[in-house]
Parts: sequence; C-alpha cells; structure tokens
Amino acid sequence: MPYLATAQEWLTQSTLLLQARPSTTRITTKYTHASTIAKKSKSKPRRNAPPTESTALLTLKTYDPASGATLKYETDKAAEVGRLMMILGRLGRGMAGLEVREEGAEGEVKEEVKEEGREDGKVLGGAGDGKAAQQGGKAAGGAAGGGGKGKKKKGKK
Amino acid sequence: MSKGHLSNDDFFQKLSQLFESSTHGSIYLSQKRMVYGENVNTGTPESTPGQPFPDLSPSQPLPLIVRASNGKSKEKRDKKVKLSTIVEADALEGFFAKYADVCKTSMSGLKKRDRSKQKEKLKAKKRKQGGGAAAGTVEVKKS
Repeated sequence: MPYLATAQEWLTQSTLLLQARPSTTRITTKYTHASTIAKKSKSKPRRNAPPTESTALLTLKTYDPASGATLKYETDKAAEVGRLMMILGRLGRGMAGLEVREEGAEGEVKEEVKEEGREDGKVLGGAGDGKAAQQGGKAAGGAAGGGGKGKKKKGKK
Repeated sequence: MSKGHLSNDDFFQKLSQLFESSTHGSIYLSQKRMVYGENVNTGTPESTPGQPFPDLSPSQPLPLIVRASNGKSKEKRDKKVKLSTIVEADALEGFFAKYADVCKTSMSGLKKRDRSKQKEKLKAKKRKQGGGAAAGTVEVKKS
C-alpha cells in the first residue's frame, strides 16, 4: 500500500489494522539522515519539498506480515515529530490490548483533525472521538478564519 | 536479541547515543506486541470456534517490545547496533512521553519551521484582505 497523505489518515488506517491484527502488526519508524537522502537524489513526487535542499526524513510504517498490509507516512518536518510520537503512543495502547484512550491527546492533533475530521468518524472504535475532535477542529478553524487548505482536502475523499 | 532486553531507562540512554553516533544512513525504531518470549506469559489462549481470534481481546494487557537499530547489515554487520526494551502496559504513557522527548531532540535533521516565510505570507495576505489571519496563525499556535 502506498504513502498516505496525512498523519491523521495514517493514524486512522493504522488503528484499523491494529484492531484487526493486534498480535502481528508492527510499526516501524525510520529516521534517514540528510546526507543519505542527498546521495540518492531522485526526484520524489510524493515529497513536496524542493529537491535541491535535502533534509532528513522520517518514515512511519505499519506492517502486518500476516496479511501483507502496509501503511506508510513520510514527513520531513521537525514540527511533526512530537505529534507523531504521540500517535505511536496511542497506537501502542491498542497494541498492548488496552483501550485506546483519546482524551488529552486531542490538543495536539487538532489541526490535522480539522482536515480529516470526517474520515475519523468512520473508524469503528474511534467514532465517538471523531465527533469530539471535529468540534475541537471547528473551534480552531473559527479562530483561524477557516484555512483554505482544510477545505480542499475534505473535498478529495 | 538473545543478549537480553534493556530497561526502559537504559534503552533511552543508548538510543540517544545511537542517534548521536550516526551521521548517515537510517535509524530504525519499531514497536510490536510482545507475544513470543520465554519469560513472558502471552495471555492469549488457543483459538476456539467460539472465539476464533482470541488475540483481539486479551484477558490482560500485553507488554510491547520496542526495538532500535542502525540498520547496518552484511559487510557492515560488525557495526550493527541493536537495542530492545520491553514496555509493560501500565508503563506505556511514561515511556512514550520520554520516547517523544528523545526523538524530538535527536531527530535534528528534519526541516525546521520557516517562520520568516510565513511572516511574509501573512503580511501579503493582510495587505490583500485587510486583517485576514489564515494559515500563519494556526502554525504559530501549534508550536
């Protein structure tokens, strides 16, 4: 399976995969140094960074060897690390067989949820959370005067 | 792997060192439910017709195994570093809080947020709309 467009989408899909196969699914986080990326400087269309400046890359991969399902997300933004690690913690709870608690985590995910809030509602276990998150997202959207970016993404799916 | 697992604190210490020592290539971190292991009771019974997937709802929370590696293999095998630690379910929260801190400080090669560009954008937008507070505000709030 290919790269997912947003961290939120990756979280949603990974949650579903973990719910289905909690014992075999693993999550790998790969941090690639900038020098290594500069070496293989092929044009990567999935990265929206200009190809001239190379930064390190962080790739998240959820893989279930039993079914072969693979979910990937890639970023080069330092600002996303904190949020992604928090997502890993959340998915870790699911892995451990604990109930995936959602509150307290919303503050940071807010911005992404604004873009993907509708999809969140589709998740079986996360249905209730999707609602709450959407409200949070709306509040943030109102304060920001409604980003055009979010609207565009919603229309896509 | 047979060398045994590190305690969570040792793991973080070694992980920081691993990040510091590596300058190129990749660092791999992985997390998985701990199912196989001689001293760990998996708590997952055999599947029965009544409950075909017992691992979906384990009777007790299971620990996770978190691994880190610098991905050196083949001819560089001797430089390979492998770390692993087992995180008990009740220690997850604290573990990931620390884990996030270590990663945030160690993954320094990622792109920093470019504030100068955003400021320009914001100014341009303000000029156009007269007081519109769009993307820039959201970005600043997040930090």
